[in-house]
Amino acid sequence: MTLWKINAEPGRTMTWFLSWFLFASGIALYVYTAHKRHLENPDDKVVPTFRQLTDGFYNAAFKPEADENSGPGLWQRISGSMLFHDTVASGRRFFIAFALLFPAAVLGLHIGVFPYIGAFFLRFILFFDKIIALSVLPILFIAFGIDELSKIMLIVIGVTPTIILDSFNLSKGVPKEQIVKGFTLGAGNFDIAYLVMLKQIFPRILNSIRINLKSVALFLFAGEMIASDDGLAYRIALMRRHMGMDTIIPYVLWVALLLFLVDLTMRFLNRRLHPWFREI
Amino acid sequence: MLRFENVSVSYPIGKSSRQVLDCLDLDIEPGEFVTVIGQTGSGKTTLLRLALGQEMPTSGRVFMEGEEIREPDRHRGYVPQKYSLFPDKTVLDNVTFGLEVQRFSLFGRVTPAFFRARRRYRQEALEQLARMGLRRSDASKYPDQLSGGMQQRVAIAQALITRPRILLMDEAFSALDPNTRGGMQDLLLDLWRATGMTILFVTHNIAEAVYLGTRVVALARDLESPGGEQMGSHIVLDMRMPDSAGRHYKQSAEFARLVKYVEEAMEPPRQTDQLAAAV
Repeated sequence: MTLWKINAEPGRTMTWFLSWFLFASGIALYVYTAHKRHLENPDDKVVPTFRQLTDGFYNAAFKPEADENSGPGLWQRISGSMLFHDTVASGRRFFIAFALLFPAAVLGLHIGVFPYIGAFFLRFILFFDKIIALSVLPILFIAFGIDELSKIMLIVIGVTPTIILDSFNLSKGVPKEQIVKGFTLGAGNFDIAYLVMLKQIFPRILNSIRINLKSVALFLFAGEMIASDDGLAYRIALMRRHMGMDTIIPYVLWVALLLFLVDLTMRFLNRRLHPWFREI
Repeated sequence: MLRFENVSVSYPIGKSSRQVLDCLDLDIEPGEFVTVIGQTGSGKTTLLRLALGQEMPTSGRVFMEGEEIREPDRHRGYVPQKYSLFPDKTVLDNVTFGLEVQRFSLFGRVTPAFFRARRRYRQEALEQLARMGLRRSDASKYPDQLSGGMQQRVAIAQALITRPRILLMDEAFSALDPNTRGGMQDLLLDLWRATGMTILFVTHNIAEAVYLGTRVVALARDLESPGGEQMGSHIVLDMRMPDSAGRHYKQSAEFARLVKYVEEAMEPPRQTDQLAAAV
């Protein structure tokens, strides 16, 4: 049986067919279920038809929320829409948290490179890492209020310890020879830390941040679902109350697409910026 | 120039400790090419780490031109067996790195003076690379695009461009195939003759040590003393070598005789004595 052959070499057409099969059958199954349920009950809201989904997406993405803003231009319709507002609100939180991951990575490098800094931070961060971020959410709401700050703090508490520890491990993984070589060439401590260590672990740090993008999104959604009045997750949570599956499903796919695009951009940039790095 | 004074090194293992070097004295003169040989665990790498300042002796002291060595610095160049090049920098940037960091701080690297200076450094680095037998087209490659021999050529160029007072090499050619290795040995000898620099070269290959060195130092460990205490290594042979010039030196009877002599000196003599006594 070729199916279980490790050395098998499936052809191009076969690979194409196999790799799209689950997508196609998933869509087919959905369309069939929707069709069947609507035959039984034309007002079914649980499994909206394909038509309802596109309408839902159109209403979310191309219709201004408030009627007074409705302009004739496409851009005005998009920029006034619900999806646009939600994406901007969530995106802002996402990218603020994302930007905070870089200082975290640099802190991890310092912990790995300078023994005194390591002695000061490492034990605490190892402990801090074990705190379940969601369990401190009530404390965050009490301490920082229920506005933006608490939501961004949730992401920071949830993801930065992982990034710090990861970049600490990465900097520990650089062979000692590199540091000694640097010193014998006359480099100073900071030359070693930034020009030798940071430069060579940076592509791995980017990879680590890429892998943790999902955690960032997860904590963002948790924060938005619990306490927010805008954002993609807020909308999904709100629509649940109205059984608004025709909005929820396009939103879920939209979020997946956005994350995929951020990931793709980072991978592309990583390859462009570090042609010497071959593990991407 | 480089002086080991009554140096002992021991590492703690649990409650006891393991003696690596025992009361070692060694004085390296300027211009010497000293090769250190010894079997695995004989402490030859420890000796090199002491010379670098990567490690401090448990007792005794190590001096570089009268000053005690405490940390690796730019007076002692270093070529290890692996990981000697920065993987994120091109060959040219690897070689100019030493010149750049010695004269410019991290913030100085953004000034126009830095970019002017860097043009000069690059010229200097290209000349150095040409002396090491690298082509101009290799300069823009990354280290992992080069063969092992080429990488070590770059590593030597990188270490030499900052003009260290002594070059410390740790099994620098041990990962290379025999042909490349021979070529690298001749290249290093040519460089040494041309510049008159001082080299401390650690290897486990006796033929390499005899061929390269003007002076061969062999480290070996005695068998366990009657008390059961593990003794550290000490110098069992410290010998001047004749000039190895001439292409057929390696095939000569004299060379073979010297290799055999060094080999025998490294065998623990007491073992045969004890065996004889037991019989």
